[in-house]
Amino acid sequence: MNGSAIVFWSVFTLSGIWMQNIIPGVDFLAPGLVLCLQEEKWTVSAWLGLAWLFIQEGTGSLAFGTGLLWYGALVGLYYFGHWLFEAKNFLFMFILGICLGVLHLVLSQVMAVLQDWTLPLDRVLVEGFLQALIFPVEWGLIYLIYNHLPDNPHAV
Amino acid sequence: MDALASYTGLEFAKWVLAPGKWTASRVTSFWDRYVYFVGVREENDSLRAKLDEATRELALLREKAAEAERLAKILTIRPPVGWSRQGARVVSRRLGPNAALETVLLDKGSLDGLAVNTPVIGAEGVIGRVLRLSPSASTVLLITDPNSRIPVTSQKNRTQGILKGEGPNREMVVQYVSLGAPLDAGELLVTSGLAGIFPKGLPVARVTEVGRTGSSLFQTVYAEPLFSPRRLEEVALLAKNPEEQNGRTSGTEAGDMDGDAFGEPPPEPHVDASVPNPAESAPAADASRHGRAGAQKRAKPAGNGQ
Repeated sequence: MNGSAIVFWSVFTLSGIWMQNIIPGVDFLAPGLVLCLQEEKWTVSAWLGLAWLFIQEGTGSLAFGTGLLWYGALVGLYYFGHWLFEAKNFLFMFILGICLGVLHLVLSQVMAVLQDWTLPLDRVLVEGFLQALIFPVEWGLIYLIYNHLPDNPHAV
Repeated sequence: MDALASYTGLEFAKWVLAPGKWTASRVTSFWDRYVYFVGVREENDSLRAKLDEATRELALLREKAAEAERLAKILTIRPPVGWSRQGARVVSRRLGPNAALETVLLDKGSLDGLAVNTPVIGAEGVIGRVLRLSPSASTVLLITDPNSRIPVTSQKNRTQGILKGEGPNREMVVQYVSLGAPLDAGELLVTSGLAGIFPKGLPVARVTEVGRTGSSLFQTVYAEPLFSPRRLEEVALLAKNPEEQNGRTSGTEAGDMDGDAFGEPPPEPHVDASVPNPAESAPAADASRHGRAGAQKRAKPAGNGQ
């Protein structure tokens, strides 16, 4: 990973946390994980994924393991979809976004039931919808930025 | 000849010089005005800059004044005997996809002496309790969350019940208020202080509606929180003093507070004997009491009771 990529992922992480502060319930780091899987070595994805996992688990209120399931499912969906679609296709990202939106709804409800909690369904539904909407758009944006980095050998 | 010379030579000289003079005066006047306007413009620019600076300073001072007013309100909270108070700022609200509960993030953590279940109050009343901790930050579960339950007593009639959140922008519900128990709309609900998380007598909510539905054995009571979750900026955290934790632990429950922490007169200690003690009857409150004994790092939200 070169210098500009380090700066990119650092700025992305900070911006993601700020965006999560503005729009609660939506994961702004998930598109970064997919981009990382597409563009970086697997070790970079693993370290960044681990860091983001701790951020999501630490700031969340659900029991530990929710983030693990969340990012695990995202990586699984990505590799599964990778066989069926072109990995850098916007349609694939759109479908992945819908899957994440549904996953947010299912995972929140399942974890809430397991912890004997009650969650407002309408709020979780809105969050799932926003996640599905934001994921492909954000991925497209960071994909463009990443591929315009000065030290990127595949720069557009 | 002299007259002729006057009528010709003088007149000619006048006609030669006058336009020049007029032009010179005009040019001079124009130049003076130009120089003057340049000066005015410079002065205008300078004044504009000063005005912008003054406007910024005024906005900053207004913000400081509003903050000072809010902090002063928090400072008016008198901590109960045996409890100490410290202020904290709200850094964020719900954060991330796993933030399922109604929470806020504070800039104080375990290094500041906080512990799980530390009561969090605002100028108006109880806000919630600490749910999770890190060295310099903490997550607070708001009383408006559907998983929050607090045993409360009405300030005037001393009717007891369990206050349960119903989510953001929704009225809270007071559960287990028996049919015969007196309770008025507009009455203030205060913490009953029966299990030790919150000191007794802290204002929590105000009753908005009292009624009954169907064949229920309990009244249907709605209440509104005393704070607006969207407008939370600074809060106060209450911590038991060390000597209080080591020694006189039972004092907190019974008569730790002489009155409300918000300067109101102490309520009459009359409790309606016909009303069952909700903190003892409610499983949620029991769960919370048992949970506290385990000194857990992440509190169980259900049973925000005392």
